[in-house]
Amino acid sequence: MRDRYSDLVNSRSGKTVAGMLGLPRPAKLRRYVPGQPLLVGAAVVKGVAGAPLLPEIRQVLASMAVPDVSDAATPDVATPDVATQDVVAAQASPSPAGPSLSRPSPSGSAPRLGAVVIDASAARVIEDLESLRAALAPCLRRLSPCARIVLVGTPPESLADPTAAATQRALDGIIRSVAKELRGGATANLIYAGQGPGAALESPLRFLLSARSAYVDGQVVRVAPADVRAPTDWSRPFAGQVVVVTGAARGIGASIVEIFARDGAHVICLDVPAAGEALARVANRVAGTALQVDITAADAGQRIAAHVAQRHDGRLDIMVHNAGITRDKLLVNTDAEWWGSVLGINLGAQLRLNEVLLDPELRGGLAEGGRIVSVSSLSGIAGNRGQASYAASKAGVIGMVQALAAQVADRGITVNAVAPGFIETEMTARIPLATRELGRRINSLGQGGQPVDVAETIAWLAQGASAGVTGQVVRVCGQSLLGA
Amino acid sequence: MADSLGGAPEVNSPAARPSADPDANANRNANRNANADGVAGSEVGTGPTIITLDALPNLGVLFARAAATSIGRGGALGDVEVRRPDVRVERTRLAAYDKVCGFALRDELPATYLHVLIFPLQVVLMVDRRFPLGLPGLVHVRNRIVAHRPVDADEVLSLSSSARALRPHPKGSQVDLVGEVRVGEELVWEGISTYLARGASAPGEVGPETHPGVELAADAIPTAVWHVPADMGRRYASVSGDVNPMHLSSLVAKAFGFPRALVHGMWTKAHALAALEPRLPAAYVVDVAFSQPLLLPAITNLVVLQRDQGWDFVVRPARAAGDHLRGTVRAI
Amino acid sequence: MSGNSAGPGAAVIVGGNRIPFARANGAYARASNQDMMIAALDGLVARFGMSGESVGEVAAGAVLKHSRDFNLTRESVLGSRLSHTTPAYDVQQACGTGLEAVVLVANKIALGQIDSGIAGGVDSASDAPIAVSDGLRHTLLASNRARTPMDRARALTGFRPGHLVPEIPRNSEPRTGLSMGEHQAITTAQWQVSRESQDVLAAASHHNLAAAYDRGFFDDLVTPYLGLVRDQNLRADTSVGKLALLTPVFGRGDDATMTAGNSTPLTDGASAVLLASPEWAAERQLPALARVVDAETAAVDYVNGDEGLLMAPAYAVSRLLARNGLSLQDFDYYEIHEAFASTVLVTLAAWQSEKFCHDRLGLDAPLGAIDRSKLNVNGSSLAAGHPFAATGGRIVASLAKQLSVKGSGRGLISICAAGGQGVVAILEAL
Repeated sequence: MRDRYSDLVNSRSGKTVAGMLGLPRPAKLRRYVPGQPLLVGAAVVKGVAGAPLLPEIRQVLASMAVPDVSDAATPDVATPDVATQDVVAAQASPSPAGPSLSRPSPSGSAPRLGAVVIDASAARVIEDLESLRAALAPCLRRLSPCARIVLVGTPPESLADPTAAATQRALDGIIRSVAKELRGGATANLIYAGQGPGAALESPLRFLLSARSAYVDGQVVRVAPADVRAPTDWSRPFAGQVVVVTGAARGIGASIVEIFARDGAHVICLDVPAAGEALARVANRVAGTALQVDITAADAGQRIAAHVAQRHDGRLDIMVHNAGITRDKLLVNTDAEWWGSVLGINLGAQLRLNEVLLDPELRGGLAEGGRIVSVSSLSGIAGNRGQASYAASKAGVIGMVQALAAQVADRGITVNAVAPGFIETEMTARIPLATRELGRRINSLGQGGQPVDVAETIAWLAQGASAGVTGQVVRVCGQSLLGA
Repeated sequence: MADSLGGAPEVNSPAARPSADPDANANRNANRNANADGVAGSEVGTGPTIITLDALPNLGVLFARAAATSIGRGGALGDVEVRRPDVRVERTRLAAYDKVCGFALRDELPATYLHVLIFPLQVVLMVDRRFPLGLPGLVHVRNRIVAHRPVDADEVLSLSSSARALRPHPKGSQVDLVGEVRVGEELVWEGISTYLARGASAPGEVGPETHPGVELAADAIPTAVWHVPADMGRRYASVSGDVNPMHLSSLVAKAFGFPRALVHGMWTKAHALAALEPRLPAAYVVDVAFSQPLLLPAITNLVVLQRDQGWDFVVRPARAAGDHLRGTVRAI
Repeated sequence: MSGNSAGPGAAVIVGGNRIPFARANGAYARASNQDMMIAALDGLVARFGMSGESVGEVAAGAVLKHSRDFNLTRESVLGSRLSHTTPAYDVQQACGTGLEAVVLVANKIALGQIDSGIAGGVDSASDAPIAVSDGLRHTLLASNRARTPMDRARALTGFRPGHLVPEIPRNSEPRTGLSMGEHQAITTAQWQVSRESQDVLAAASHHNLAAAYDRGFFDDLVTPYLGLVRDQNLRADTSVGKLALLTPVFGRGDDATMTAGNSTPLTDGASAVLLASPEWAAERQLPALARVVDAETAAVDYVNGDEGLLMAPAYAVSRLLARNGLSLQDFDYYEIHEAFASTVLVTLAAWQSEKFCHDRLGLDAPLGAIDRSKLNVNGSSLAAGHPFAATGGRIVASLAKQLSVKGSGRGLISICAAGGQGVVAILEAL
């Protein structure tokens, strides 16, 4: 949680900028700090049609001590007004500071909702969508700031019946639209849960409900049945684990290091030798290790493995590919050297490192049940003028993730990517002012994200409990309009 | 009260005039017009007037001008923002600052060094006629720094400063001078300097003022004893550029009612922070309230107590009652 | 004494760290010894993930030292990310400081008094202490001792304007008044070391150091500081031809062969080496690059005797070899500190000289020649620079890594020091 002047005094310049652009003032997003309540407010859990996942969803919420204010007796019936007077009001702090939701509470006594979770996984016909509408719509008026809407569906591609597939695919359209409708930092996301998911649902549900997903909005996450390792302590899911983070000296990389260390991991902080002073500082702050390696060196993978073999019983649990560069130029002006350096560092090095670290015979390589998370980019999805080389590398990362995930699934290894949108870092400084301001505003949350938002999403994908999530690209973009 | 802004006795030469955005000349005229009739500039519509500095202003000259124009100020806060883009840290200046304040020389900037970079912007803001309080006699009573992340000496910084929250105080009125440092668009540092103008009036009711919650017993055992030499004000002035004469000379200090010259409050804060330096987290808030001025030379005690998320600390006279400074460091 | 594994009672080198060395008044012009030592320690701590942890002791020192730095090493520890409960002390043996510190720590580990320790050194030629003249100092001290204002006034009458001339430390021997270069010029002439052979050695030092950087050898030995990423003195593109153009700065007439190119420049920098018992390293899963086998120190009478100032290592090595039952050729690497190119060449010549080995070392036969391809394989002081007390740590860490990369073998370190001293040591791969 960032501590801003606006916490103390109403922000004048912020108001002015927003006023000049005719845009609503962006909400202050609630971000995760250890020990905070999961939600600001109570939760409503509802189901449409059979809603087979309701018990599990309820159990997850109960385990996090979230007050449940849904009408539990009629899970399949949408109740226009779910509020009841006997519910416990939000146990959390009343507000994360900043402006409250756009619409006032309809009645003084009705509690604000921190989350609405709807199990629509059994929806198979158009009429089920009306039940969904009836269940969801009334709740939207009563959301707390930074509230969470999570729909749970069934992957449409798993359904043979056209009506059923259409119904499920409709959820995608609903969630993307609702996300755009929400205000006050609230988000809406959809989980397509494969058949018989078991506890695989818990990890994405926890993440999307929590403040860790502050800048993940309007996204669809697929979770498949998997052999899930639930942590003994959800606040320290990486206790005893070893993670390598490339590009760790600065920016998003340094933030990733901090989040993994906070959540219990030993972090091997990797960057080029020239970044050594900052790298040592980052490593020392989290009692991690600094490893100065140029990832484009031919023996980079072996050096990482040798380090892990020497220091950590040869067990590497998580590999985070964050290192990347930009050499922005129109393609027409790009020469082979610039082209090659971007693709070499952002993509070629990752491919080579993965090949080495995934060798099951190599001591110090990625362990069974390990995790690979790569940093892609919205540029890799939507493209960006002057960034052909960068977009090539970042789109390439997505291709790599999808192919690799299938290849290593039998070893319990997952491979995923995050695609950051507009994140406020030193790299965004190079974007021209108008583009920059546009990039910051053309998303549903009306603001840029923070490096920590990317880091939290990576950490979630790297959890043992996220075993059911693989081969995916999770956008951390506040539901940017780009490439959507 | 340790840090007070005073005026110099005479005007030397024209100040390094701030040029303005977007067109330097046009805005300079606009500023002049604004100065002439005492009305806030309105050339940017409803937004603030933005003064952009290309170079460091001469603070000695600005102090002098502030003294000359301090009469007849009042009214509401002007909507002015001072900016200085593309600031690069000079490592030799940083090294000199580190030495005077007691920091080890490394690429990472002390959080208080960014205040040194911001401070000239604050002065430009306060010298501007739209600033309702006279600069001489303004007392720095509180300084709160939010270090969002470590900043390195090789990063290019954009600085901005504005005045906010003019409010009444039982002894006069208070105002916050807020500074922001960005690398590109990323907000990496914020500083809030609260100044008290004794006897000045501000609209509104006297509200509650918060203070850093420091819990340290009056008889706590000191962590360190500082022998602060008589020239510390001059030494800090030379590395910070804050050449407010009451830190340089006993005579001027006497004119303001102090028996001797006093050291800058921000030196005291920096020196206390330096004592914690190797243990500071990556992101933190360091918040201090200044009380008694630290008159030079002095022997003072630093008392530090570790808390869950950081430290509480007090700088107090070694052989007298009261405190010079009370502060907290908290991880964020 | 030799063996393939570090048994009980051994001290192993876990690794090292240094900051790139800067030319005097270069990148570290404003950095103090303490600043640089902290940077070297913090880099070491990061490399081995020891933030907040303690070791048995830290021994380090500086040759040029301010009086306020009486506890330089401990103060540096307090400013670093090491635990505040880590004991530390200062060591000073001129240019032998760094290696002597390694020997001290290694011996304590071998004796079981500590299980781990850091040895290091730092020097700043830019931030050298300037002392007030003796006259002024005595006047001020007398004034300070005075009990009454009158006595104080009387004491101060002893002041003379000439007292204001400060004493800047000079790189000279107190007993001879000759600078180290001037001393070495005499030795160079005695041994008739040619200009070209000195320039060849200097060029090799630069080329070897540059190649080591290029192949990533220093990736886990050096941490950048204040924007400097490689040693500032390094000239990868130098050549014997270019070096031959420089004007000699030491020596007279035809004997003037020593130039700024084949002598080490004044340098700023710091280094640190982590040593441990094999058990301590194994417990923490830290590497053990090499074992400290043995060390020897010698001194020569360069004042009244007829030995050269920097010839002591030749004696020390002879005794070290004898004690360990080794010949000079039993090594895979030789690290002979390049105070001057001619220092290395004279030392090598002395070991080959029947007369020197017989008359001075008391040997029946000369120690013989070495394979020059095994000498200073990753460059040495002529290229990297020579912040006096930091050189030992640089050499120990680099040689230990080189032995670890090779996986077997033995290395000899030889460092000459002011005062006619020499510190030498043997490291062995594990």
